[in-house]
Amino acid sequence: MKVLSKLQRYGLAVISCGVALALAGPIDAPSSCFLLAVTVSGLFGGLGPNLLSVALSALAFAYFFLGRPSPPARESTSLLRFAAFLAAILLVTVLMEIKRRAEESRSRSEEALRQAHAELAHANRVTTMGELTASLAHEVNQPIAAAVTDANTCLRWLTRDHPDVEEAREAAMRMAKDATRAAEIISKVRQIFKKGAPLRELVDVNEIIREMIVLLRKELSSQSIAVRTELAADLPKLKGDRVQLQQVLMNLMVNSIDAMKNVEGKRELTIKSQRAQDEEEDEQLTVLVSDTGMGLPPQEADHIFNAFFTTKTDGTGMGLRISRSIVESHGGRLWATDNHPRGASFHLTIPTKIETHE
Amino acid sequence: MGTQEKTKLVAVVDDDELMRSALQGMLKSVGLPSQAFASAEEFLNSGQQRQTACLIADIRMPGMSGLELQAQLNAEHCRIPTIFITAHGDTKMRMQALRAGAVEFLAKPFDDEALLGSVRAALEN
Repeated sequence: MKVLSKLQRYGLAVISCGVALALAGPIDAPSSCFLLAVTVSGLFGGLGPNLLSVALSALAFAYFFLGRPSPPARESTSLLRFAAFLAAILLVTVLMEIKRRAEESRSRSEEALRQAHAELAHANRVTTMGELTASLAHEVNQPIAAAVTDANTCLRWLTRDHPDVEEAREAAMRMAKDATRAAEIISKVRQIFKKGAPLRELVDVNEIIREMIVLLRKELSSQSIAVRTELAADLPKLKGDRVQLQQVLMNLMVNSIDAMKNVEGKRELTIKSQRAQDEEEDEQLTVLVSDTGMGLPPQEADHIFNAFFTTKTDGTGMGLRISRSIVESHGGRLWATDNHPRGASFHLTIPTKIETHE
Repeated sequence: MGTQEKTKLVAVVDDDELMRSALQGMLKSVGLPSQAFASAEEFLNSGQQRQTACLIADIRMPGMSGLELQAQLNAEHCRIPTIFITAHGDTKMRMQALRAGAVEFLAKPFDDEALLGSVRAALEN
């Protein structure tokens, strides 16, 4: 219903009443024809055009058809016919309006549901990351503590008055085992990020972008940041991990917002998505997240993707590192460029036909 | 690892195998006999409580936690000087452990001289 403009919708009411008028005479069925016209206007035009068609139909009906079946027409019969016709078209109008309101409230609750889902996914991700970090810290801490103890034990055997090399050797071997375990834990975590726990579903990147804008609405408006989106309607879907890709886009957008926090003048966040092809003419999509913030740190533009590199006072320096890992695990690339006169752009390309990337 | 000197046995309760070996190795290097258990339940079922002069226990373990083990021993009127070592040492947990009679509460990775100091103090009492 949103496809028609206001003018078109009222035009539809006028035209359908005109067609009804033209047909009503020849086939001698004015009530049915006008009822049909009112129904069509109500169904496709909305309440305004519906009421307009009611008025037009009533006028036309009264003017052209009410007196016609003369001579035996009596005043009271004519009035009754008119009343019945009026009742019918008003009933149609009311029914249409009820239907429309029901649909509107349904789409509103669907929107609310979608937003609740998005927020839940966000909360879940935050919790999962927190839990992952805590359990990772615990897991790694354990073998490190053991290694420290074993190293001290080894030293104690060696620095005795009569050094016990055999015991020292055993302690050193335990130490090697401890360190190996710590390394194994780290490599397990890296694999989780690399392979992304092979969750591959069809993902609509435009939809993710819209969701993230909804999620960040509060931050955007409180920082007076205007959002401009140019999302390609023909953007191909890609096979990937929806939550991870949400994380990447969320991270890039939050970075942009943070970069504009202390900047005077125009604050604009631009997000574009495009269909593209790589050198081998394989289909891929590109996303550009661009801001008018403070730009990339001079001389250190290459370092922003390094782990623990941050320009924020409360940053972990993990966001871009993890984002790049995720994009690479989808077979894609993530890089940054400076904007002129100011700001930074993050470019992301991901092939839409993915071969699992090891 | 033997129990030749019954009254001086140190029990180690930790679910992590590397940690158990490290602690036993450390105790051996200073000449203290020890016995290791992979869980609080295993320790309670071993019947070694009465021979244990000092207990070194992890707090977070699958099954019964270190603090629950301590409570259970207290309920059995089996007061063993206990040293807790844990990766998540928050103040509240620490206070709870010390109030229930723990002699020391160390965060991993710990200073083994501090741990040995506490073990020796516990054995002398």
